[in-house]
Order: sequence, then C-alpha cells, then structure tokens
Amino acid sequence: MKTTFKEEGKDLVMYFEGRLDTSAAAQTEREMQVLYNCDGHDVILDCTQLEYISSSGLRLFLSLLKAAKPKGSHVYITGMNDNLRQVFAMTGFTNLFEFK
Amino acid sequence: MSEFSPRIEAFLAEFRSRQEEFKNLSEQVFDLLRHALDGQGIEINTIECRVKSEKSFVVKLGHKGEKYHKLEDITDLVGLRVVTYYTDDVDKVAAIVKNLFTVDWEKSVDKRKRQLDSFGYLSLHYICRLREGSWPFEIQMRTALQHVWSAVEHDIGYKGDVKLPPEYQRQFSRLAGMLELADVEFSRLRTTMADYRRHVRALVKSGRLDEVPLSTDSFKSYLELRPFERLNRRIAAINQAELYPSSPLPFMPLLESFKLETIGDVHNFIEENTEDACQLAISALAMTDLDILSDTIGLQNLCFVHVLKQGMGRVGVKYIYDVINGEQESNFVLADIIVKQASSLPFMQKISNSDVK
Repeated sequence: MKTTFKEEGKDLVMYFEGRLDTSAAAQTEREMQVLYNCDGHDVILDCTQLEYISSSGLRLFLSLLKAAKPKGSHVYITGMNDNLRQVFAMTGFTNLFEFK
Repeated sequence: MSEFSPRIEAFLAEFRSRQEEFKNLSEQVFDLLRHALDGQGIEINTIECRVKSEKSFVVKLGHKGEKYHKLEDITDLVGLRVVTYYTDDVDKVAAIVKNLFTVDWEKSVDKRKRQLDSFGYLSLHYICRLREGSWPFEIQMRTALQHVWSAVEHDIGYKGDVKLPPEYQRQFSRLAGMLELADVEFSRLRTTMADYRRHVRALVKSGRLDEVPLSTDSFKSYLELRPFERLNRRIAAINQAELYPSSPLPFMPLLESFKLETIGDVHNFIEENTEDACQLAISALAMTDLDILSDTIGLQNLCFVHVLKQGMGRVGVKYIYDVINGEQESNFVLADIIVKQASSLPFMQKISNSDVK
C-alpha cells in the first residue's frame, strides 16, 4: 500500500495505490494525518490506483470526514473502481461522501 | 496650541487615562452577557463590544459637549450590541440584562416605542452598571433587520435630524414598516412552527401516525422512536458490525417519491418490507468481512426491496442510488449487483411467479 500527498492549488490531494486492508491501516492512518490540517480546503482522496478497501480503510476515510466537516472542508473521493464503489454501497456510506 | 478648549482637553485627558479600565469593563460585561445568553439558549446573531474611539469621542463632545458635566455623564464610552434573529428575543435579552446589571431607567430608552410618525431606527438601549457606583456602559439590543436598517441609514447619512421632502419620508416610512412587519411575521412564524412541531410530536408519540403528514419535521419526530433500529441491528449482526451514525434525511425524497403521504405510511412501509430487506442485506454482506455499516443500512435496503417489489428493477434501484449518491451512469453497475443479489430471494421469486401467471 502506498500513498502520495500533494497540494494541488488549494486542494489537499492524497493518491492511494494498492490494497488498503487491516495490515496497511496503521501506516496509512499516519500518512493521512497531513489531511487533518485541511482548515476549509477541499480534500481529495484519489482512489484510481486503489484495488481494495476493507472496513479498516473505511474507518480511516470516515474518521477524516468527521474531522474535516466542522472545519468547513469537503472530502471528495475520485477514481473508484466498481469493486470499491460496491463496498461503499453495501455498507450504506455512499451518501456520506461526495464522489467525483 | 491645542485645537480643543480647556474643558474638552480635560475630558480627553481623563478619557485617555481610563482606556485600560474601559477595555477591562467591556470584556467583563461581554463575558458575563455571553455566558448568560448561552445559558438561556437564546440564539444570537451577533454580540459585540467596543470602547468608544477617540475620534468619535471628540465628535460627540463637539456636538453635545455642554450637556456633560463630567466624563461619567457620557454613558456610551463602553458599549455592547446584541443582535437577535427574532423580535421576541430582544425582550428576552433585555430581561437577562436586567437580571445581570443595574439598569439606569432614567437614561435608558426604548426606541421601539417611538411615535409612529418617527420612522426608522427601532432599538432598545439600556444604560447599565455592574453595581451601584461603578462606571456606566450602554447595551443596545435589536433584531437583525433593525440592525440592517441602522446600517443602511448610517450609509445613506440620514440621522433623523434633517428635514426630508415628503416623498423621501414616505420611502423611509414604507421601508421601515416593511422591515417591522417582517420582524413580527418571522416571530409569528417561529411560534407557529414550534406549535406545529409540538402537535406532530404528540401525534407520533400517541401512535396516531396516520394523522401525521410526512414532512422533514414529522419524520424527525418519528425517528425519535428509532423505527429502523431493529432492522439495523439484525443486519449488523451478520458480521457483528459497528453501526456508524448517519442521517436518514437524504432518503426523504425517496419516501416522498414512493407516495408515502403520512408517517403511518412510512411505518407500514417498514413493517411490510423489513423481513425482505434483512434477507437482501444478508445476501450482500454475508460473503464479506465488512464490520462497519452506516445506520441508514436498513432504510437503504427497505427502499431497494420496495422498488423491486413494484417491478421497477434496475432502473428503480439506480434511481435510489441517484438520489442518495448523485446521478451518474455508474449507478447502473451498483443497481445490477443489487438486482442479482435479490433475484434468488423469496420476494423476487413471488414476483416472477406472478408475472408468469
């Protein structure tokens, strides 16, 4: 599992690559800390290269969303493949995030 | 040589020497008032405090200097302004101010009680002290619309001391009347809505669900009965999942599109579809290890079952995703998965059989 963080204009963008499962969650959580400083800027989670997400991965995304909303930031998820989309749909989280 | 008279110079010197005292007083009063307003749960648009600027102080002395014998006679050197949303709340704020501070009734003025031909600025001004003998300060209380009026009036430069031609007076009067009417109507609307909510809550609690029209308010009251909890817990038990709190309100447009007109209809919709929704969720989740679910999961599956029973197939399911997830073609992929998972369930087979007959 690999993440890459970039500031693109005013947006904070993180690119995810590989499998975000339980074994990768702790490291990914540390790498995602930089996104918590969003302070009103939009956060984009680019999942184009993400192959799989487990419950642990969902928790990381949900935790970020919970922290970002009160700061006035939007969290967008982009580039999800059909398998990832299905995970969000099955768990009922599709209406919590904004998808691009 | 000074540009001011010795009298004004003396006032100015004392005004400057007391700056720290004024700043502390304004902060102390602000904190006391803010705390009291929060405690009473009054929603405030803004509350602000200031110490009069030297420039404004000099202008005031220039205009009305002879009126003041000592600095303390100028009662607005420290000033606070509380702006409320509703006109009723101005009186509530005033009551709190009366309790917190000693009000000098002789110097306080309720400009809301001006004569009707004196159009415009309506506001309540209290001259207060923390206690007898302490330095006075002014608290202005007004609604947001009164505040708008005051700001526009200030911008236009009309202070009420210039004789205006009748046609302009009429324009001011019309606007003042309109704002006053809007203030009264907003208050009335708030009271009406509060009465309606209480009525709906009482009907829901007494179980008279068929008498309650479906609306965002009535749905919120219904949610207090936790109507989806049993189904959510059954679904969560599949993978011993944690239920993550999430608002069901984005599903309101769906319930309305299903022609559910009363809370009773929603209740029946849940009762009629719970077993099938549970089976559908099991068929989707049993093969996964997903152990966190939104607590709208039950409602989402109820909606799927409803449209499938109506024979709306993948188009109906896609519509559900379009409403809760935003309209996009890829929702067909998700819809096809749901239709496939549902195809082997008893309720779908009953539909297939009835179609054959």
